[in-house]
Amino acid sequence: MDPFRLVTLAVFLPFLLAATVPAVEKLIKHRIGWFASLVAFISFLLIINVVPLVIQGESFKASVEWLPSMGIEYSIYVDGLSILFGIIITVIGIIIMSYSNGYMSRKEDLPRYYQWLLLFMGSMLGLVFSANTIMMFIFWELTSITSFMLIGYWRNRPESVYGATKSLLVTASGGLFMLAGFIVLRSITGTFDITTILQNDTLIKTVHSHEFFLAALVLIFIGAASKSAQGPFYIWLPNAMEAPTPVSAFLHSATMVKAGIYLVARVHPIFSGTEAWFILVSGTGIITMLVAGFLAFRQTDIKALLAYSTISQLAYIMTMYGYTTYHQPGIGVAAATFHLLNHATFKACLFLVAGIVAHEAATRDITKLGGLRHEMPVTFIIASIGALSMAGVPPFNGFLSKEMFYESSIEMGHALGSPFTFIIPALAVAGGVFTFAYSIKFITAIFFGKRPEKGIPSHIHDPSVIMILPAAFLAGLIILFGLVPSIVVQNLVEPTASSIMMETQHLHVKMWHGFTSSLMMTLVTFMLGILIYTKYESIAEWQNSFNRKYPFISVNYVYDGLVNNARNTLKRFASFMQPGPVKAYVLALLVLTIILFAIPFLKLSTDLAPTLNFNLEPYEVLVLFFMIVAAVGAAVLPKYLQAVISLSALGYLVGLLFIYLSAPDLALTQVLVETLTTIIFVLAIVKIPQTFKEHISPSQFMKDALISVAIASVVFILLLSATQGIVSPFESLSYYFIENALPLAGGHNIVNVIIVDFRGYDTLGEIAVMCLAALGVYNLIHSRGESQ
Amino acid sequence: MNNTLLSLTISILFGIGTFLILRRDIVKVIIGLSILSHAVNLLIVSVGAFSGKDVPIITHDEVASTNTIFIDSLINGIFAPMLNGTNPTQYVDPLVQALVLTAIVISLATTAMIIILAYRIHEEYGTTDIHKLKRLWG
Repeated sequence: MDPFRLVTLAVFLPFLLAATVPAVEKLIKHRIGWFASLVAFISFLLIINVVPLVIQGESFKASVEWLPSMGIEYSIYVDGLSILFGIIITVIGIIIMSYSNGYMSRKEDLPRYYQWLLLFMGSMLGLVFSANTIMMFIFWELTSITSFMLIGYWRNRPESVYGATKSLLVTASGGLFMLAGFIVLRSITGTFDITTILQNDTLIKTVHSHEFFLAALVLIFIGAASKSAQGPFYIWLPNAMEAPTPVSAFLHSATMVKAGIYLVARVHPIFSGTEAWFILVSGTGIITMLVAGFLAFRQTDIKALLAYSTISQLAYIMTMYGYTTYHQPGIGVAAATFHLLNHATFKACLFLVAGIVAHEAATRDITKLGGLRHEMPVTFIIASIGALSMAGVPPFNGFLSKEMFYESSIEMGHALGSPFTFIIPALAVAGGVFTFAYSIKFITAIFFGKRPEKGIPSHIHDPSVIMILPAAFLAGLIILFGLVPSIVVQNLVEPTASSIMMETQHLHVKMWHGFTSSLMMTLVTFMLGILIYTKYESIAEWQNSFNRKYPFISVNYVYDGLVNNARNTLKRFASFMQPGPVKAYVLALLVLTIILFAIPFLKLSTDLAPTLNFNLEPYEVLVLFFMIVAAVGAAVLPKYLQAVISLSALGYLVGLLFIYLSAPDLALTQVLVETLTTIIFVLAIVKIPQTFKEHISPSQFMKDALISVAIASVVFILLLSATQGIVSPFESLSYYFIENALPLAGGHNIVNVIIVDFRGYDTLGEIAVMCLAALGVYNLIHSRGESQ
Repeated sequence: MNNTLLSLTISILFGIGTFLILRRDIVKVIIGLSILSHAVNLLIVSVGAFSGKDVPIITHDEVASTNTIFIDSLINGIFAPMLNGTNPTQYVDPLVQALVLTAIVISLATTAMIIILAYRIHEEYGTTDIHKLKRLWG
């Protein structure tokens, strides 16, 4: 198969099979998780097939027209970057869905869980393989929606709902900014297709010199930052930790939060090499890295700690993608790409460990945990590998990419010149120091120290193989990538970096490369990190007291204020628009009707001098008089039965009137229908005892009477004007029916011919309405059995 | 040409119906809706496009010609004279009758539905006062 079909299949297979999950669940019960991981595995195999093409340094693009007039098409772009993400998504997907078999209780709503996981995986794959920006946007928002559903998986927990809403508000609205950015980009380049721009140097130069350059860059970057929890948008990620832990490991550390990174890497060739790119991307990255790393200290929930560390680590990657100068547009690209891959391994591993600890010890609070290394030795080893890799300790993969981070920081500092030669590496080291400190805290808080007497179960042990194996597999990858980096560097990182830089890249990644300045920086990091670690508690305490003193210095404070404000405003709006009494709505409609009729009457009043016509036979006048009497009787008679009889009299009089109006069919129907209505009415009314007697106050009566008189006047004027020589803009269809009733339909009664012949489908619809009404009546009567 | 007394009667029916649907007693509201639907039916029938008097039933076998030019073009049809000849049709407008015929039957369906609804509301809540049904009030 060609790459286009392979990738299309890999993207849409999860969507298709997600639909079958409930049916499969009926067959294999709680083993449904294995079905889901099988789907992920098939997608993985499909994507692996394309890898040889990419290792050769080629890229591939194919498309199918969708909305050609708008330049929107379904198009797949396969290059190193998309393949790297495709592999991360599917591999972590397999691991997570297998792990979920042990983590999720069998009592949970498993089909819903796996369905949304599969839908997410499909959307994420679609996102990274999209060449068309509109298609990318659609998949982008799909990932936000699936993430929303997964964070809010436990629907009855208020924290879950809060976290889900927050993540949706931040990431989905960020996506709208991104869409606006894509549209600006299209207005500059004339295409929604990103590969067209990438492969055209003059087009990129046009973008750089265009007056909307900054607008496009900022809008797209807001999208990326909101998704990757950078800058002020970080707030949604810690609350997203209310999701089941496998979801956090999958979406909120390894894949979805990297969509923003992906976007930055994807548009890197278009925007990089400019000051704005460096200031925006690296600037946001550095600030986020430091602030999030620092804020991690006061977290007592292990998952929250990991969330802040994820924000900080994503900021590393963002910073490195932002390192750019005019001559060297991508100083940190290779390092960023490698760190992205490494972060996916060690962070997912740590989340799985957090899930194991929460599952076995029934708490995620580090103040209640401690000393578990004897009871959970395997988990302890895996956690140590993950955390040390995150801290940048050799011989794990985190060390390698951390070194590369320092190297590229030095390079960037040199490129900018004094005083940045010192400042940028120093900031990078500061970020590393925080990382080191909280990574060590992660291990010591759970596995060292004194085991608490209370609060955790008395017997804690390593979990089942189902849960330990996925984590162990990731730990194995961490060591493998650390010891033999060439495997991934040559096969994945180099092609990815090449595809971002649009030229072939060669990397030499080794564990030992002499006493370089980056190694010195690493050593400084370790020393300062240990120093900070000894002050860990007091720093956390200081942060807490600061937060108590100044609660308003916080992005969350602003977010809550905005959201609550919006909620209250809408609540007021809703209670104004929906006051409740039906009368209010009816009144609004009636007043609107009066206004809508009154305006044209007033405008046309000069042209319409009504001619009055009192030419009636005496018996007709009598019928009209009795009609009014009957209507008044139906309105004022106090007993229901009397009123209904009076209403029925009105109905028969209307039938009589139809005869005078030369409408025999109507008269016949009216009499039959009135008989039926009266029977139904009486049958129902005798069962309703008349307990309620409405008291109408004089002012109320005046108001309602005024409205009624206004309506009556409007109708009267309408009727007087109706035949006063207004030439209708169209011919009346009636002529057609009169002329053709006999020749076309062979019927003499024109009304009947219209009903059953010319407009036969309308009559069919009418019969359907009757059937539905009959069903409705039947069900209304029978529905009472359940409540009693 | 419309008869003024008929028009007056129809508008009075409208007024009474409007007053009734503003009531709190659900049975009265239903009665009001019935009166309104009678009034609307009469209104439509009374504003037919023709001034003929005969029942729209063709009594002889030849085709009744209306001397009308049918112009299907929107551009030419607008503001074009509806009738070619000076002799209008002998019939009343059959189209409005067909519309109202459908409306009468549909109103049977809706009336039956809401009557039973009122009956069920009385059973569930023990009242016919719509102000006591407050679950959806803002």
